[in-house]
Parts: sequence; structure tokens; C-alpha cells
Amino acid sequence: MSLLSWLLPRKKPVLSLEQHERLMRLPPATELGDTPMRTQRWVVVDLETSGLNLNRDQVLSIGAVVIEDGAIDFSQAFERTLLRPDNPLSPSMLLHELGPAAIAAGSDPADALLDFMAFVGDSPVLAFHAPFDQHMLTRALKDSLGYRLQHPFLDVAGMAPMLCPQVNQREAGLDQWINHFNLQVEDRHNASADALATAELALILFSRARTQGIDTPQALQQRLNQWQRRKQMHSF
Amino acid sequence: MLQNIHGTMQFLQRFPPFNQMENTHLAYLVEQCQLRFYAPGESIIRPTDGPVEHFYIVKQGRVVGERTHLGREEAQTTFEITAGECFPLAALLGERATRTEHRAAEDTFCLQLNKLAFIKLFGLSDEFRDFALRGVSSLLDKVNQQVQQKAAETLGTQYSLNTRLGELAMRHPVTCAPTVALREAVRLMHEQQVGSIVIVDEHKSPLGIFTLRDLRQVVANGIEDFAQAIDLHMTPDPFYLSPDHSAFDAAVAMTERHIAHVCLVKDQRLCGVVSERDLFSLQRVDLVHLARTIRHAPRLDTLINLRGEIGQLVERMLAHGASSTQITHLITQLNDHTVCRVIELVLAEKGDPGVPFTWLCFGSEGRREQTLHTDQDNGILFEAQDGAQAAEIRERLLPIAQQINHYLAACGFTLCKGNIMAGNPDLCLSRTEWARRFAAFIREATPENLLASTIYFDLRVVWGDEQGCEQLRRGILGQVADNRLFQRMMADNALRHRPPVGRFREFVLERKGGDKATLDLKVQGLTPFVDGARLLALANGVSANNTLERLRQLVALEVIEPLDGAAYEEAYHFIQQTRMQQHQLQTRENRPYSNRVDPDSLNQLDRRILREALRQAQRLQSSLALRYQL
Repeated sequence: MSLLSWLLPRKKPVLSLEQHERLMRLPPATELGDTPMRTQRWVVVDLETSGLNLNRDQVLSIGAVVIEDGAIDFSQAFERTLLRPDNPLSPSMLLHELGPAAIAAGSDPADALLDFMAFVGDSPVLAFHAPFDQHMLTRALKDSLGYRLQHPFLDVAGMAPMLCPQVNQREAGLDQWINHFNLQVEDRHNASADALATAELALILFSRARTQGIDTPQALQQRLNQWQRRKQMHSF
Repeated sequence: MLQNIHGTMQFLQRFPPFNQMENTHLAYLVEQCQLRFYAPGESIIRPTDGPVEHFYIVKQGRVVGERTHLGREEAQTTFEITAGECFPLAALLGERATRTEHRAAEDTFCLQLNKLAFIKLFGLSDEFRDFALRGVSSLLDKVNQQVQQKAAETLGTQYSLNTRLGELAMRHPVTCAPTVALREAVRLMHEQQVGSIVIVDEHKSPLGIFTLRDLRQVVANGIEDFAQAIDLHMTPDPFYLSPDHSAFDAAVAMTERHIAHVCLVKDQRLCGVVSERDLFSLQRVDLVHLARTIRHAPRLDTLINLRGEIGQLVERMLAHGASSTQITHLITQLNDHTVCRVIELVLAEKGDPGVPFTWLCFGSEGRREQTLHTDQDNGILFEAQDGAQAAEIRERLLPIAQQINHYLAACGFTLCKGNIMAGNPDLCLSRTEWARRFAAFIREATPENLLASTIYFDLRVVWGDEQGCEQLRRGILGQVADNRLFQRMMADNALRHRPPVGRFREFVLERKGGDKATLDLKVQGLTPFVDGARLLALANGVSANNTLERLRQLVALEVIEPLDGAAYEEAYHFIQQTRMQQHQLQTRENRPYSNRVDPDSLNQLDRRILREALRQAQRLQSSLALRYQL
């Protein structure tokens, strides 16, 4: 890849007929519901990427779990490693313990992303530092499938301090919250395990939200938006 | 396999029964689970929810069971469930609602398995089924197996004293009719290479037994007519047990009765004979032999040497699966034999004092709950017409009593620090004097008298006539039953030692000096049961001394609920077992005996059960507090 390749017009991805049909069958995203929290299906996602650069780094693996009927459902889980033959070994891979061999053994990115979007369906997505995951997924879906991601994303990293204001943790990361709630995580820094930890955190936060009169996913989103706006205003 | 399924399986594999289940079954369980969160105080299942629909495993946090009793406002916490534990087995299997409200006590995550998957798993996995069916008692079994295994490792042999006698007596018993000639009977024994022949009637019901020992007697008596019928020489009405009794029962019977053969009888028909040799060769528990050697020891030195063997025997018994109750019972029996022999040796040495007397014991010896290290708590009871005669008899008996105390100390019964010993003139009393003393304890409930009553009121006869002691006991029972104030003081006394479990912490430990924090298994674990059972027994006319026996009789009298009684018994038994293992370990490592244990040194299963056992002690205490409005 040339250094100037990002200046050139992007090539449209080439999909097989079958991949194209699957793409067409994906359900459209829906808005967050105005029904009780418990009736909402959520997908909690965590990505492993080749680095933190929003424009250059790539999604290496996706781990996701589902919250349905107010509980994490172990019968629904998603876990894929993406085939990235041209990706050089970067420091973040050590963090993720995902060696080149595991990445090489992965699935074709287009197939993996189609599988993932079918798994997501029309559900909203939760993630810790959701804007990052949202951005990386949007770009990967556009590059590999020419698909426009429109699902609502809610940031658990924002929900946590909003719903637990008494916890004095400024800009706390997932690790700090895991420690704060004493969550037992078997194998951190793996997309699936981090997604599960994020989902457990989300269940605690949903419970706290209920005691604060937040009864619907829509209300939660509104409160989160307000809180984030206010926080930005304060920081000016 | 998916990462999170694998991770959750790894978590579950730290706990029974999941650590024994096949991986495919465990994976099935996890895949069917939902993980739910409960905030503090949130209800998980309630009696009003109808039949239970899910099986729960605590992944993190703490769940408490709360039962509301009729007429009482606040709910009572009956149990606590922490990580790795499951609920509600009984309600789920019984297809009914839970009887106890289960609430989260803190931020809690539970794995929730739906009933269909539970039933499927129940069919798939034997381990899971066993666990579900036996509930908590299977946890207790695990502990017992662990105890046996540990002890067996030091011995390199494994055989259970709980074996059915029916399985031990493999051979067909050798029998004959009562009219058979002596010569013919002995020939049969010789041919079959056995040490005994059972004389039976036409329905195979045993009439008597003839053993090699009887043959020796016949020869020694100079009988020459071997054509005489066997029934003239047999021991009539032989002792028998059912084939369902255990090897332990047979060993105890042989020790108690000084016999070497036990007939097995089912539906009044003889179906086998178990000999001392059968027990020996299979088990190498030479308990009968030891008891006999003690009983016939010619000199004090022999008795002193035999004490070490009792320690080894206890180790072997633990290895053979004896429970703490069986062991304390046996230690008491061997100790009784030692005391009797010491008394006989002293009488032979000093000459008979010419007055009959009874040797009493008190405290744990009186309750038959002795462990290996034991203090002397004894006294003498005799009959006298008046005070003057009593004083005169006392003068004669005291030197003998002091010599007995002295010899017992040489045999390893530590001299009592409080001087509760027969050689003390205050404890060598006539029946009238004892009765007066006991009445004073009950009438004047000073702290000293209360403490004394917890020792003396567990009195029992070790040697000599039992009548006088029974009269004393009847007197105590009558006076305590009539004296509500004394009962109340005793209840207050029974609440002195609080079991070391907290509401929020696993254990509430004491730190002595720079040592590790520990708890006292005897004072904080056993004493609440012992004190509680004594009080209720004395107040309700129960004459038994042994704590477990008292609890059983109190259940029979409906003073204690059967379920509570069973729970107390199991808990008491477990704490005692832990204590004895501790003592064995200390002996092996040449450390001094101590009842203090650091819960962290126990494995996770033992720690959990110990916590539950101590919680039962707490429940017994609160029931006393309620009963006596303290």
C-alpha cells in the first residue's frame, strides 16, 4: 500500500453474490424503544483493533454478548477473528494477546462483519467508550461491505459516572469500574471477556437507572445526551 | 468453544458438583444460562411466586434466605449463599414454591438455568443428579470422604468401619442341633476351620454358641464324656446383631461384652457369624484387643504404655471412616476401661477399704465426649447413715482416691487445675452430702454455682454401683424443672460464648498477640451446643448426658423441631470432626494440642460448612434467648 493511497478515491468493495444477498437481507436499525427496559434487546460489543488510530487502524476481532429479558443470555454470543494478512504486528497486539497466527486463522472480514450484523439485527449497541467502537465498525463496514452503520450506540463509559455520581472516578476506564464493582472477569483483554465485563457493568447500571426513575431505553439515551452536553459545557 | 462459555466453566469448576461434571455437560449448563444482576435487598425468589421455575448459581455476591415466622414482624435470616453455591434445590425438585424468600444481600450476579435445562442436565449428568438429590448433605459427604482420604493417606490402607456386617460375614455359618454330641460339634469346627459353632433350633433360630474358649473351659473342667449333648456346654442366648449393622457396631459390642463372636440374625434366622478375626484381618482395627489388654493390664507401666496405642487407634479409626461421634464414644470407652483398671490395681495394692464406693466422672467425660487430651474430672460417691459416719468413711477412702488420681495422671489424664478430683475431700461425699451440694447450686445461682452446675450436672458412673447416682440425677432433674429462675440463669450462661460468625463477614476472628487470627472450635463452636442441650435436657427431664443423645430425646419430646435437631446434630458433628482432625495433625507435627483454628487453613468446602455449622449454633442460642426472654 502506498503512502498516498488514502488520497486516492476508495475502491468499492467486491462482494460475492451470496455476500451481496446477505447484505440486502440485513434488517434496518431501529430507534431506541419507549417500552420498559427489560423488553429491550441489547448487543454489547468490544473490538480488538490494531491500534487506537481512528483512520488507519483495523478491526482485528469482535466479541459481543446479548442482554435480553434483563439478563445476559449465554446462548447468544458472538466471537470472530478477522483475517488481516497485511496487518503488521503492532504493540497493541501484545495487549490483546492475539498473535499473528490467531489473526491469520480468522475469517474473511466481509463474512465476519456480515455474521456480526446479522447477530446485531435491529438491536441498539452498548460499548465501553462506544464512540471508538462505533467509528471503527462504521469504517470497517463501509470498507468491507459498503454498508452504512446506523444503529444507535450508548456509551457505558458515560452511563457509569452519570448513574453513580458518588463514585469519585474521573475518566475511569473499564478496569477501574470492574474493580469498583468487584466484578470477576476470567480473562481480560480479550474482546469476548471485555464485552461480558461491559455487559455485567451495564446490568448494574440498568438497575441503578431504574432506582433513579429511568424506565425506558429512550429515557436513558436522553439523560445520557443531556449529561454529556452538560459535561462538555462545564469543560469549556 | 466460545471464550465466555469457557471462562464461566472455569469459574464453576472451582466448586462442587461442577468440578466433577463432564465438560460437555458443564458446557451445556453454561450455554443454557442467563446471567442476572440483583441489587442489594432485591428479591430473587419468593414464596408468593408460585412453583420455582429456575435453578440459580451465585456467581458473585451474597444471597440470604429469610423466613418470616408467624407473629413476628421482622424476617429472620436462616442461611447465606455465596459464590459457587446453588439454590433452591428442594423447591425445584419438589415442584413447589420456595418456603424462604431469597434476597440479594449485596450487588449479586446469579447464573439462572431454566427448569427444562435443569431437568435435561439432571438426566445427563450423574454427578449433578447426585448433588441435586442430596443437596447440602452431599457436601457433608464430600467432607467425610476428604477426612477419610486424608487419614488413609497416612496409613496406606482404606477400609470402612461402616461396612455392613452382612458383607463381612461371607462364609456360611457352621451350625448344629442342640442334641448333637460335643465330640461331633468340635469335629465340625475342626473340619470347617472355624472358631465357633452356633446351636440352632429347627427354624434356624440361634439357641447358643460354642467357641474355642468354651472348649478350653470344658477341658479345664476335666470333662471326659465327649458324648454329652452340646447344649450342656454352650453359651445360651448368644448376642446378635442384624446384617445391616455396621462393622463398627460389632467392634463396639465385642469391646463392651468381651466376646469374640457376634451372630447375625435376620427375621429370627441365623444368617452369619462375625468373629473378632474377621474384623481384624479386614480392618486392622485392634480395638477389641486393646480394650482387653487394658482391662487385664497387670501393672501401671503396662497401662501407661497402652495410652500411646489409643492415639494410633484414633488415627486408624479416622482412616477407616469412623465419625467423630464414634471416635469420642470409643475414646470414652477405652478411658473408662483404663479408669476401672487403675481403680482395681490401686485396690489390689492398698487393700479393700471395706466400704462400697462409686467412681463418678463429670464434664466431657460424663457426657462421653472425650477427645485424646482430657483433664480429670472425677469424684466418689458412697452411702452413709449420718455426717459422722460419712466423715469416717471419707477418711478411709481419701488415700485410695488420691492414689487413683495420681496413677491416672501417670496414664495421661492431666490433673484437674480446678481440683475437681476424687482425692479432694470436697468431692468424696456421701449421697446426702452430694444431694445437698447440688441443691445449693440450683437454689443459689451465683456465677460460681452456675459454672459448677455445667460441670457436675453431667455426672456419670464409671466404676461401682449406679443406683446412688441415678437418685442424685432424679433429684437434679426435679429441682431444675421447678426452678424457672435457675433455668433462665443457665440460659444466660449458655449465651456467653457467641459463635464467631458475623452478619457481613465470614468469620469474626480473635487475634492473640502477634498470632494469626483464629477461632476456638471448642469454646465458640461446641460449647453453645453443649450448654444449650444441657439446659433443655435438665429443664425437660431428659436424663441422657451425651449432647447428641440429649438433642435426640429433646426432639422426641417435641421440645426441639426435628429439622432443627437434625441440623444441630450435623453441625455439632462437623465441628467436632474438624477439631479432632486438628488434634491428629498437631500430634503428627509434634505441636501442642490446641482448639484454635485459622479458617484460612481449611479448604474452601470445609470453610463453608464450618460457617454454616457455626450459624446453627447461633440459631440454637437465639432460640434459647427467645424461650427465656433474654
